[in-house]
Amino acid sequence: MRSLPLYWRFISISVRAKTEYRTAFALTFLARGIVWSTEFALIWVLLYTFKSIAGWTAYEVMFLYALQLTTYSLAAFFCFHPFTKLSYKIQSGEFDELLTKPMNPLLYLMCREFSASYAANVTFGIAFLSVCIYRLELTLGVSDVLFLLAVLAGGALIQASAFMYGAIPSFWMVRNTSIMEMLMSDFRSFIRYPISIYPSSVQVILTLLIPFAFINFYPAHYFLGRVDSHLFHPVLAYMTPLVGVVLFGGALLLWRAGVRRYHSTGS
Amino acid sequence: MIEAERLAKAYKIYGSGRGRGWGEAIRGVFARPYEVKEAVKGVSFRIRPGELVGFIGPNGAGKSTTIKMLSGVLTPTSGKVRVNGCIPSEDRRRNGLQIGVVFGQRSQLFWDLPMEETFLLHRRMYRIPSDQFRRNVDFMVELLEMEGFYRTPVRQLSLGQKMRANLAAALLHDPAVLYLDEPTIGLDVVAKAKIRRFLRELNEEKRTTVILTTHDMDDIDEVCERLMLIDRGTMIHDGPLAEFKRRYSEGPEDAADLERIIGTIYSRS
Repeated sequence: MRSLPLYWRFISISVRAKTEYRTAFALTFLARGIVWSTEFALIWVLLYTFKSIAGWTAYEVMFLYALQLTTYSLAAFFCFHPFTKLSYKIQSGEFDELLTKPMNPLLYLMCREFSASYAANVTFGIAFLSVCIYRLELTLGVSDVLFLLAVLAGGALIQASAFMYGAIPSFWMVRNTSIMEMLMSDFRSFIRYPISIYPSSVQVILTLLIPFAFINFYPAHYFLGRVDSHLFHPVLAYMTPLVGVVLFGGALLLWRAGVRRYHSTGS
Repeated sequence: MIEAERLAKAYKIYGSGRGRGWGEAIRGVFARPYEVKEAVKGVSFRIRPGELVGFIGPNGAGKSTTIKMLSGVLTPTSGKVRVNGCIPSEDRRRNGLQIGVVFGQRSQLFWDLPMEETFLLHRRMYRIPSDQFRRNVDFMVELLEMEGFYRTPVRQLSLGQKMRANLAAALLHDPAVLYLDEPTIGLDVVAKAKIRRFLRELNEEKRTTVILTTHDMDDIDEVCERLMLIDRGTMIHDGPLAEFKRRYSEGPEDAADLERIIGTIYSRS
């Protein structure tokens, strides 16, 4: 990996650019902390009143939430700015710059627009995750910890793919891509709660079509030792890394088609 | 160095022919009507190493499209282009190492940090050996008179200073070809003069081939030796600047006024 120092430099630049405004950086960190903690607390209050949702206790639901937050933030490091700005870059012709560099355009875009401020989200995500593991008295062996890391990686790939499938259509449709982005972020809010509370049609969509359930619902079955989902096969609890890799592979193919299209039509 | 052979580019422009009424609108969803616009209609030329080429033409003539095909951003619809033996749009990574690009006022610098940070990044990206890197940074900083603002965050620089910093960033890896799309647009007289002088000195010192588009005829007069004039996708003139003036002027004193000569040609077309 001769390029490793290059990526490191990209990241360190991004961190330094952020810390140029130290107060703003600290405030962002604080603000996000408050937002996420509030949401976390809301779930707790809700469940304190109702004891459980579809048989899931407070900390079990919060465990779902923590998985969703952590994987989202990991993906957002490299994907939030690159893909929310993509349609603007295509329209304005800024995308040209990517194609004149001696580097893979996708890597360049992800590194160039790397957003250090998601460190706040990742920190809180991992903190919530730890709290849940502690309160649920889960004992994780070495293989469990490794699987947890694989689930986080797979979940991050699913989240990254969602960013990409939402934004890459801008290569074909210059204007109306916000629909796709909305679809993606709205579907994300479904997985705050165990998907078994929804009608089975929604469960099918979240499993097969927009498989966000693999980010938290299915792998949580493994960690929480649950067997209550009769709807689908128990093997789904182990599928997150595979689903992540497959989705992300598809997103890469779509990206390549998009760049080829840009290549031959211009802005 | 650069060989272009019957280089052509056509765009599909969608939606312009759409009529009224629901029938038309619904049909438009499935098979959108489009027109083919030929932006560049088969231009051929050769550029030797170390040439200073000015590329001019009215708005929409095909200048930017051509320069994008040369730099690898766009794939030609037909025809061939080779830069130092490689096909830019197919071998983008190799091509990226041998070219420098500054497109208009689009900045490749990190906004919140001094230009130095972008330079250090480019050092890694282009794998520039450290002694060559140091030599080139010194060369650029001195020639572009950037000592005063080398460590100032880019967001605080003036337009002219930013343009100079962008030029430097595009040249640290000693590219064989430098593409400039309107490098002096929006700059004041002094800033323009600095950039023109720099381009000449760069060319003398490093034999860098420079291809620039512009609407400012002083750029051409003071920098370029060769002039290519494109209009409606066709090359109207390609040759030494002096020859161009001789051919199109109406007398020896008129020859000094490039602006007027070009104006006459543009308005005729």
